[in-house]
Amino acid sequence: MNRILCALFLSSGLNFAGDLKIVDAWIRAVPLSSKATAAFMTIVNKSDTPVLITGGSCQLAGEIKPMITTKQDDGVMGMALVKSFAVPAKGKRVLEPGGDHLMLMKLSEVPRAGSIVPLVLTTEAGGKPGSIRLDVPVR
Amino acid sequence: MARHRQRDVRARRIGLILFAGCAAVAIPMLAILFLIANKPSSPWFGQYDPDAHPAYNFSLTDHNGNAVRLQDFRGQAVLLCFGFTRCPNICPTTLGNLAAVYRKLPPAAQERTKVVFVSVDERDSPESLKEYVPFFNERFLGLTGPPADIATTARAYGAFFRKAPAAGSDKDDYLIDHSTYTHLIDPEGNLRVLYRFEQLPETDKIAEDVQRVLGMPVAEKQP
Repeated sequence: MNRILCALFLSSGLNFAGDLKIVDAWIRAVPLSSKATAAFMTIVNKSDTPVLITGGSCQLAGEIKPMITTKQDDGVMGMALVKSFAVPAKGKRVLEPGGDHLMLMKLSEVPRAGSIVPLVLTTEAGGKPGSIRLDVPVR
Repeated sequence: MARHRQRDVRARRIGLILFAGCAAVAIPMLAILFLIANKPSSPWFGQYDPDAHPAYNFSLTDHNGNAVRLQDFRGQAVLLCFGFTRCPNICPTTLGNLAAVYRKLPPAAQERTKVVFVSVDERDSPESLKEYVPFFNERFLGLTGPPADIATTARAYGAFFRKAPAAGSDKDDYLIDHSTYTHLIDPEGNLRVLYRFEQLPETDKIAEDVQRVLGMPVAEKQP
């Protein structure tokens, strides 16, 4: 049953999932008391349409939100929630430590180093919602 | 004839004056350029403070519940940074890099180095810091204290922090914007080197600075 659902899911997202490639995705291992962690990856868009990454979901996080990192001249840094990450047509977007990231919040369980977390990214391209499934290692 | 000779002498004199004038300008300029080109570049990777200002002698509580002052670390190099345990990106990056710096130190230098993380979050406690800071290295120390003491300490180190809106739907789960500088304090308790967040991935170079501040010979790199 799960497999069928999964296949259905994949096929629904396949419209442009083939044009969207996720490279080097990983989730940061954090202390077990943590309320949040971050996922990093490079999102490559091979299509002619800009793609938005609007968030995502996974079993152990209540919410997954796109966050940008802000920095002032005096070294003060912070994070700000954004509606989405835009990945330009025929371009890429890098999410990396100290920079933009997907924040996994309201963790029901802190992902352990060495484990693999199934995660679904929600996307939007040309006004159409989509999704892409990933298996993300924790390190 | 005599007039010709006179003109000749005058021309020669003018030439000589011009030459002397040019030399007077050019020689010091060349000397300065030479000095600039040959000036030994600073061996320090971070921003070095030759004036050695005493670092603020804070009085806080460590993650084991013990009272701690900066002066307790006299004789040791201290790497000090500010943050909060709910920080999912900046603080783990900082502490992860400092853990790599620490691993690269020879054992004798590790014995004389303390990495200190000062929480700027009133929601943090010795307990929450104990779950967080030793995760990166069990010898690292998390510090907390009454908000007024944290504010005084932060100000003394030129650090700034302020509450920022929550990212998720839970408003109590707010974030904190904060300074991301790391200070290297020498064994006499003076501010010596300052690192920007972007410099922290250069863990080899920071490890060299730590050994230098400890007065230890900087190990030659293995080829």
